[in-house]
Amino acid sequence: MARAQPIVLLPAWRRRTLLIALLACLTVLLGRAVYLQGMRTDFLQQKGDARYSRTLVLSAHRGMIIDRNGEALAISTPVESVWASPPDVTINTDKLKNLAQLLRIKPSELSKKLENSDREFVYLKRRMPPEEAARVMQLGIPGVFLQREYRRFYPAGDVAAHLIGFTGVDDKGQEGMELAYQDWLSGKAGSRRVIKDRQGHIIEDQEAVKVPQDGRDLSLSIDRNIQYLAYRELSRAVEQHKAKAGGIIVLDSRTGEVLALANQPAYNPNNPVNIAGRSRNRAIVDIFEPGSTLKPFTAAAVLEAGTYRADTMIDTGNGTLTIGRRTIHDAHPAGVIDVAHVIQKSSNVGAAKMALSLQPHTLWNMFNEVGFGESAHANFPGEAAGRLRPWQHWQPIEQATMSYGHGISLSLLQLARAYTIFANDGEIKPISLLKLKEPPIGQHVISSQTAQTVRGMLELVVQPGGTAPKAQVMGYRVAGKTGTAHKLVDGQYASNRYVASFIGMAPASNPRLIIAVMIDEPSDGQYYGGSVAGPVFSAVMGEALRKLAVPQDAPTNNIVIPPEDAQEVKEVV
Amino acid sequence: MYVVSRKDRIVATAYDEGLLWASLLLLGFGLVMVYSASIAMAEADKMTGHQSTYFLIRHALYLGIGGMAALAAFQVPTKVWQQGAPYLFLIGLALLVLVLIPGIGREVNGSRRWIPLVVATLQPSEFMKLFAAMYVADYTVRKAAYMSSFTKGFMPMLGVMLLVGGLLLREPDFGAFAVIASVAISILWLGGINVRIFIGLLAMLVVGFILLIWSSPYRLQRITGFMDPWADPFGKGYQLSHALIAFGRGEWLGVGLGASVEKLLYLPEAHTDFLLAVIAEELGFVGVLAVVLMFAWIIVRAFSIAKEAILNDRHFSALLAQGIGVWLGVQATINIGVNMGLLPTKGLTLPLLSFGGSGIVANCVALAVLMRVDWENRRIAKGMPI
Repeated sequence: MARAQPIVLLPAWRRRTLLIALLACLTVLLGRAVYLQGMRTDFLQQKGDARYSRTLVLSAHRGMIIDRNGEALAISTPVESVWASPPDVTINTDKLKNLAQLLRIKPSELSKKLENSDREFVYLKRRMPPEEAARVMQLGIPGVFLQREYRRFYPAGDVAAHLIGFTGVDDKGQEGMELAYQDWLSGKAGSRRVIKDRQGHIIEDQEAVKVPQDGRDLSLSIDRNIQYLAYRELSRAVEQHKAKAGGIIVLDSRTGEVLALANQPAYNPNNPVNIAGRSRNRAIVDIFEPGSTLKPFTAAAVLEAGTYRADTMIDTGNGTLTIGRRTIHDAHPAGVIDVAHVIQKSSNVGAAKMALSLQPHTLWNMFNEVGFGESAHANFPGEAAGRLRPWQHWQPIEQATMSYGHGISLSLLQLARAYTIFANDGEIKPISLLKLKEPPIGQHVISSQTAQTVRGMLELVVQPGGTAPKAQVMGYRVAGKTGTAHKLVDGQYASNRYVASFIGMAPASNPRLIIAVMIDEPSDGQYYGGSVAGPVFSAVMGEALRKLAVPQDAPTNNIVIPPEDAQEVKEVV
Repeated sequence: MYVVSRKDRIVATAYDEGLLWASLLLLGFGLVMVYSASIAMAEADKMTGHQSTYFLIRHALYLGIGGMAALAAFQVPTKVWQQGAPYLFLIGLALLVLVLIPGIGREVNGSRRWIPLVVATLQPSEFMKLFAAMYVADYTVRKAAYMSSFTKGFMPMLGVMLLVGGLLLREPDFGAFAVIASVAISILWLGGINVRIFIGLLAMLVVGFILLIWSSPYRLQRITGFMDPWADPFGKGYQLSHALIAFGRGEWLGVGLGASVEKLLYLPEAHTDFLLAVIAEELGFVGVLAVVLMFAWIIVRAFSIAKEAILNDRHFSALLAQGIGVWLGVQATINIGVNMGLLPTKGLTLPLLSFGGSGIVANCVALAVLMRVDWENRRIAKGMPI
C-alpha cells in the first residue's frame, strides 16, 4: 500500500461544479456581448459619432462685386485660419517659439492656448495669408491644422464703402449691397460629414459630400471712375465748408442707373471698427427737408394743370405773403416776375402763390407720382420713404410751404430720381443700383413740353442772376436748382443750421447725367446751395461728362462769371 | 470482432489535436488582430520610429520564442515539473522581489511590473501564474491528508498567497493577483478542501478585495469609472467608454478587418488589454463569439485531460491541468469582462491573443504542459512508458 497517494480525493462533483462555473461566466460574457452589439448599438454609435464624427463646412466662394465696367469693388481672397487640438499637440520650446513668431503672437499666449487640454478646437490665429500659413504647416507640429476661409477685400476702400457695405467675420453681409444681395453673393456652403482619427485626419466620408455652390458676381451700376471723382469732390467740399455730412448721387438720367453714390463721413470697409455714425448711407436712408429744389415740381404742376403759363406774371410784392398766422419770406423782394424767374430767383412767395392755385390733390399727385413718400425701390437696406402727408389733411399754409420744399421730407436718392422727369421729357425712371442690360420703361408724369419748359427755366438758375452760377460746366449747358433749407431740429427750424443742396442735369439740350449734391450743416459761413453744393456739382459733372465722352452742347467759353460786385443771389426761408 | 470505441480513437493519436489547433488558431488570430490594432498607434508613436509593423514584428518574434519554449516544455515529464514546483515557485517569488527593486524593475504608467533584459523585458507575474499553478497543485497533493484541516491544510497556503499577493500589489498588479488567487482557490477546491473553509475563504477574499479597493484611491477611481463610464467619458470613463463604443459599432458582423476607428488612437491599449474591443468592432459579435468559444473549448479540454489523469491516479497532473484551464479561463473572463464594462479595469491581457512577450511565452509553456499531461495520459493508456 502506497503511503499518501490513496488519500488524495479529487471528487468529480467538485470538478463539474468548477467547470460549470467557468463556462457560466463565459456565457454571461456572451450575453453581455449580445446586449452591447445587438441592442445598445444606436446609443453607442451615437456616442461614437459625437467623439469622432465631424461635419466640415466647405465654404463657398463669395461672389465679387464689380462696377459697370467689370472693375472689382469687393473680392474674396482665400485666407487660412490656424487651429489646434491641444490634447494632440506635441511641441518643444524651440518649436513653440518658432510657431509663436510665425503666428505673430507671444509665446506665453500661445502656450496658454495649447494648455487648453479639455478642448479639442482652439483657434491659434485667424485669417492668415496662405503663404504664411504654409510656413506654419512646414513646422510639422502634430495637432495643428489649417482651415480655409475667405476674407473680403474692398479695393475702393472708403470711396464706395456706404454703397457696398461689408461682411462680418462669418462672411455674411452686414451693410449695404453686401447685405442686400447676401444670398446672391454668398452661394451655398457645402458640407462633409466625416470620421476623423484622434489626430484629426479624415478617414472616411459618412455620407455623400454636399458640394458648395459658389456665389455669383454682382454687377453694380456704379462707374468706379465717377465714384472716385464724386467722392473726392464731396470730401473736399465737406472739409472746406466744415460740414457735418454730405452726400452725392450721380444718375444716368436715361436709365435711372446710379453711376456714383458717396457720402461723408465715410469709413474703411476693410477694417470696419468704430464706425458708428459713419456707416450710414445717408443719401439713401436719411431724409431731409429739400427746400427750394422742389420748386420745379410746383412749376411743373401748375403748367400741367394750366393755372399758369410760363409767361404768366406773378406779383411777389415785397417778398412776403401772409397765410393765416404765418408769413412766407423771400430773400430779395422780386416784384412782378414770371414763372421762370420764380425758379431762377428761387422766390418762395411766387412758388407758394402757384401752389395755392391748385387743388391740394393736384399738387399731391405731382409729388406722389415723382416718388415722394414712397421708397425709391433701389433694393437697398433701410431705404427711406420720406414723408408726404395725405392731401386730405393739408392746411393752406402747408400746401404753400411744400411748394418750396418745407413740410415734406425725402432722401437725396428720391430727389435725384424725381428729377428724371425733367431730363427725360416727362418720364420718371426707376432707380437701379445694378447694371442694366437695357434702359427700363419709365412712366410719364408730365408732358414733354412741360418738362422742356421747366428744364429751360432750370438753365436760368446757373446763369448770372440765378442762384447757382458756380454750378456752370465748361462746354455743357446745365439745368439745375439750388436748395438752402433750415434744418429741422426737434420739430423746430434751427435758425443757424442749414442743408445746402444742388441738383441738376447736363447737357441741358439732351440730358445724360443728373447729379444731386447735399451738404449738411456747412459751418464756415457759407451755406447757400449755390455756393456750397454748386461747385461740387460743376466739378463732378464736367469731368464725368468728359469721361463718358458726352458731346458738348456749348462752346468751351460758355461760363459766364457774375461781376465781382454783383450781389449774391440768396435764397432762404 | 474488434470494435474501435470513441475512447480508443482518441487514445490512438499521440496528442490532443483539438487543443493544439484551438491554441494555434488563437495565437494566429492574435497576431492578425495585434497588427490591426497597433498599426495606427505604431505609426503615430515616436518610440516605435513610426514603423507600422513595429508590434507585428515583435509579436511574431514572441510567438516564435513561445513556440520554442513550448516545444522544450513539452519534453519535460510532469514528474519533473512536480519535483521542481517549489523551486520554480521560489524563483518566481525572487523575480517578484527583484521587479520591485528600483534600478532593476522598470516603471510604466505607475506600475513596476517589468524587468528589462538586454533585448526584451521580462514580466515576472506572467510566469508566476504558471509557477503558482504548479506549486499549489503539488502542495495540494502533498497535503492531501490535511485538506479538511484549517491549520495544517489551509493556513500554510494562505500564508504563501498573502506573500505573493503582497508582492504583486506592491507593483501593483492587481489582475495577476486575482488570477493567481483564483487558480489557487480552484486547485484547493478541486483537491477537496473543507467546504466551510472554502466558503470562509471566499467571504474573506471578497471583504479583502473591497477593503483593498477602498483603501487605494487609484483602484477606487477604476471602480467608479467602470460603474458609469458616461458620467465622466473624457476622464475616468474614457478608456471604457471607447471600448463600449467599439462593441456598439461592431454590431453582429463587424465593420470589417482593419476598419476599426477606435484603434485610431481613441482607444488606449488597443493592442494589449483592449484587443477584444478591436476584435468586437472589426469582426462584430461573430468575432467575440469565436474567441469565447475557443476559450471554452480550451477549458473543457483542460478539464477532460484532468479527468483522464485522475483515472490514472496522476493527481498532480490532474490538478495542474485544471489549474492551467482555470488560469486561462479566468484571465480571459476578466479581460473580456473588463472590455465589456462588467468588471473594473485591471491591466490584464487577453491570454494567447494580446501583445506582450512574457504573457505569450508563459501561455505557450502552459499549453505545452497541458498537452504533456495529455500526452502522458495517452502513453499510459497504451501501456507505453512515459
